[in-house]
Amino acid sequence: METAIKSKGASKRTAKKVLLYAIIILFCIIVISPLVIVFSSSLRTPGNQTSPLQLFMEFSGASYAQAFKNMNYPMELLNSLITTAGSVLCIVVFATLAAYPIGRIKSKMAKFLYYFFISGLIIPSQMVIVPIAQTLNRIGIPNTRFTPMIMFITCSLPFSVFLFSGFMKGVPIEIEESAYMDGATLPRRFATIVFPLLQPAIVSCVITQGLWIWNDYFYPMVFISKKAQYSLPVGMLQFLGDKENPAQWNVLFAACVLCALPLIVVFLALQKQFVNGIAAGAVKG
Amino acid sequence: MAKKPRKAGSYTSPVFTKRMYFFLIPALAFFLIFWIYPVLQLFYYSVTDFNGINYDFDFVGMKNFVKVLSNGTLSNSLKNTLIYAVVTVLVSNLIGLAIAMILNTKIRLKGLFRTCAYFPALFSAIVVGFIWSYVYMPGSGMIAGLINLFGGDGSAFNPLGNYTTALFAIAAVEIWKGFGTTMIIYLAGLQTVDESLLEAARIDGCTEWQMIRKVKLPLISSTITINVILSVIAGLKAFDYSFIMTNGGPGKSTKTLMFQVYETAFTDMKMGRASAFSVMAFAFIILVTVFMLFFLNRREVEL
Repeated sequence: METAIKSKGASKRTAKKVLLYAIIILFCIIVISPLVIVFSSSLRTPGNQTSPLQLFMEFSGASYAQAFKNMNYPMELLNSLITTAGSVLCIVVFATLAAYPIGRIKSKMAKFLYYFFISGLIIPSQMVIVPIAQTLNRIGIPNTRFTPMIMFITCSLPFSVFLFSGFMKGVPIEIEESAYMDGATLPRRFATIVFPLLQPAIVSCVITQGLWIWNDYFYPMVFISKKAQYSLPVGMLQFLGDKENPAQWNVLFAACVLCALPLIVVFLALQKQFVNGIAAGAVKG
Repeated sequence: MAKKPRKAGSYTSPVFTKRMYFFLIPALAFFLIFWIYPVLQLFYYSVTDFNGINYDFDFVGMKNFVKVLSNGTLSNSLKNTLIYAVVTVLVSNLIGLAIAMILNTKIRLKGLFRTCAYFPALFSAIVVGFIWSYVYMPGSGMIAGLINLFGGDGSAFNPLGNYTTALFAIAAVEIWKGFGTTMIIYLAGLQTVDESLLEAARIDGCTEWQMIRKVKLPLISSTITINVILSVIAGLKAFDYSFIMTNGGPGKSTKTLMFQVYETAFTDMKMGRASAFSVMAFAFIILVTVFMLFFLNRREVEL
């Protein structure tokens, strides 16, 4: 009798477990299936036009070779790397500097500046792009591969200042006070105490902002006209006409994989930092 | 040397002086010149017939505003943006939360499932747009191909070519790309829930549903708030998939606020009108944000 009840409870639990597994596995398959098909098609020769649903029927690098050439991949990759790394570096420096007074000084002014920066989050880029282009023009900043970086830095400030101000509370005031007693100047305290202790927030900032800057096509599309200056996402825009032409799919998909590949490699190598960084930005900030 | 310990962080403190405000200069300069000043310029251009290139423009009063309101572009794109935002916010938060809850139980291969669910977030919107153009392609696309495989008529399946479904089809793309990030944030929120509270609820005979409704959800209410705010902001800025996948069509059915602004400024070359449009869109976004903050703050206190 007792064992019957027990096994009934156990079987109910097992059924629930099986159901959960079924849901999550089915869900993951649905989510990931377009990517699997894209990857399998990218491995075909450009001329192979059988249905992409027949997975992994051919393994060839020909589509990749063509996409590589059409995109001028090494150049675009280099442009993307320079733009992303340069922007993220500036953002970390500017935003930590700005968050220092905002997070430390308790006054109406500091509070106002905090909300002033955050309010920038709700402004969409498409709305202000023409006045921005004119402002750049008036200041005399030419359209080069570095011009989008100005906008990447500016657009990242609201979130980054918000993030670092939140984390600033976790940097103990006492350490700074004792450093002050020992005669440390403000810049020195910032550089040797505050900045190193903000490290988890810096990781979070680099990952979240690096991710969108790497993937953004809008600013480079507006500001860059020379093909040699294209970053990877803008290079992809050149394939826009191919998306409804099944004959071009294999090359298009190879280009898609090439465009995403650097980020996938970084993600797989630093998965833990990615997951923690994305969560930290939202939960702690 | 200060004998009495000063109030930590007070601006009168010799440790944190007003001189610190100098640290703001680089960030504030960028922010004011390239973000706030352009917004202010929009208000100025909105009452002119500026075309974006020729600076020899005239003052036209409220003509642009009247035009935008009377030709229906504002109400159409406002409606589309609202539908898009509501659908993406609701669905991506529900899916994100549900998957996070499943992954927060004792389940094997947790890391693999998490990676799968998050993976689409790594791709650029432009790549995602291409991939989903293939998925939705009538006749030979992925879904149409599957319909064919099971004996249906795949050529009749054309979600992007249909007035009523196109907006939902691109909203689905946004959800596919975005829910993984939402899920990771929920997962982090759920991991902060104290295990002993759940144990206590279990001993008191809580059912699984009560546990979620009465214990877990209230405990992660701040995570819900942040996720909803983030996805509402993203939803109101909707632009990418209208631009890459449908070009606003068919008809005007996927023209969102930001797509309409972009099209008016760059395709129609009517910067004055686009600015008037932006000013009204901006007012709407501020209204939604203020309302949302007010509503969510009140709810959080109640719980």
